[in-house]
Amino acid sequence: MVEKKVSLKKKRHSKYRPIRFLMLFLAFLLIAITPYLNSKLHFNFVQGWFQSLSIGKLWFVSPLEGLESILTSRLLYGPLLVGMAIPVIIALLLGRVFCSWICPISFLSELIDRIILKIKGERHRKGANPLPRALIWYALIGEILLALVIGAPIFVFLSPPGLVGREIMVATIFHTLAIEGVVVIIVLLMHLFQKRFFCKYLCPLGGLLALLGIKRRLVIQKEEDLCVSCGICKKACPFTLDPEKGQSLSPYCWNCGECIDSCKTGALNFKWKSL
Amino acid sequence: MKSKFRKNKGRRQFIKEILAGTVGLLLFRHKKASAITSPVTTNRLRPPGAVSERIFPSKCIRCGRCVEVCPYKCIVPLDIKEGIYAGTPLIYVEDIPCYLCMKCVEVCPTGTLQPIKQNETRMGLAVIDKHACKTWNEELALCRTCYNVCPFKETAIKLDQLRPVVIEEYCTGCGLCTHGCPVVTKDGKKAINIEPIYSQGPVKW
Repeated sequence: MVEKKVSLKKKRHSKYRPIRFLMLFLAFLLIAITPYLNSKLHFNFVQGWFQSLSIGKLWFVSPLEGLESILTSRLLYGPLLVGMAIPVIIALLLGRVFCSWICPISFLSELIDRIILKIKGERHRKGANPLPRALIWYALIGEILLALVIGAPIFVFLSPPGLVGREIMVATIFHTLAIEGVVVIIVLLMHLFQKRFFCKYLCPLGGLLALLGIKRRLVIQKEEDLCVSCGICKKACPFTLDPEKGQSLSPYCWNCGECIDSCKTGALNFKWKSL
Repeated sequence: MKSKFRKNKGRRQFIKEILAGTVGLLLFRHKKASAITSPVTTNRLRPPGAVSERIFPSKCIRCGRCVEVCPYKCIVPLDIKEGIYAGTPLIYVEDIPCYLCMKCVEVCPTGTLQPIKQNETRMGLAVIDKHACKTWNEELALCRTCYNVCPFKETAIKLDQLRPVVIEEYCTGCGLCTHGCPVVTKDGKKAINIEPIYSQGPVKW
């Protein structure tokens, strides 16, 4: 009993939320300043954004973009595969962490949440689940099929994680905004009406990363003895998953750690699954 | 006959037809079916090392890194109005030509722009409009701007009795001559234009 009280006191402060928000902020800062560094100062060490990013000789290509390019052109290009390797390995081991820890849409959504919290004094909590979660797989399949029918990876052009970066680049270099930026605004409006609506149901990149992360090693696991079934974790989850019922092990969980922070008893924690 | 037809169908049908016509006009107002025709035409070129236009739109992932890295801001990403070509890079050579710095070629992650040497670049071919060119039609015999600005002077462009002649073998199609040319013809072109004659080349597997 005494031990439990100690652990209760320890778990009061949130552990992952500040780190994650810092991470999101740094990732956003990276894509916000690289166009300026590149075009004005001609500093090309860091280049691009979350469609394709290079840090020195280290190249990353978003797996969805790479996959669609390979499928539509039916050509393999070595550097493209190498660039896709690191994001794919991260998704295989850690799951959809790009979405919750790096994606600029996540940053903007959380920023909106924080502003609402400041103004209203209460959390932005509209977390029902009006549609089946499996919709995200159909979004992924639909996007790939449409790209194959049209014969060009045109929908990655509208994929919000990359679109934010390109809008910033267009704004910095050409001092205008491209009209496709409307998509970002629509996605953020969707977030206002329903928490993470686009991320949860429609994002094809999220779908692909979730697919890769089905058998991920890093999961959030519940310790049966400590759980008091209070249901707070379900309210904290941006996807309204229920970690009490083991839904944090499902492919839809994106390992953001919100439920771990919310848990008063410390029953939830990240766990590295061994094979 | 047609009006009788309309009378029979009534006012609703007529309004429907008008609406459909307006929508159609709005959709196809600019250019001829821009959504599926390639934007690559005279003086509208792909960056250096670009693969054949046949697979360009399917290979390019629209990441825009070539646009970002270009120090002269000559590469422009197309917007959503270009249909399936939206987001692909294009150079408007009269505005800002390509200075062949070859930076875009190095950053392309998909191989849509493939590594190529500066002098082996073939973005197009400069073609002199001998009727518009002041030196060729002998209005102004001393203009040789295109010759002066060419980065491969005496190789890609030569002077034949003080008149410029393009050597097709060596012209990279960078568009510096088009940019420099002081003559503007009625259709908005210059007296020397870049024709993207290599853009529809075979696909290299």
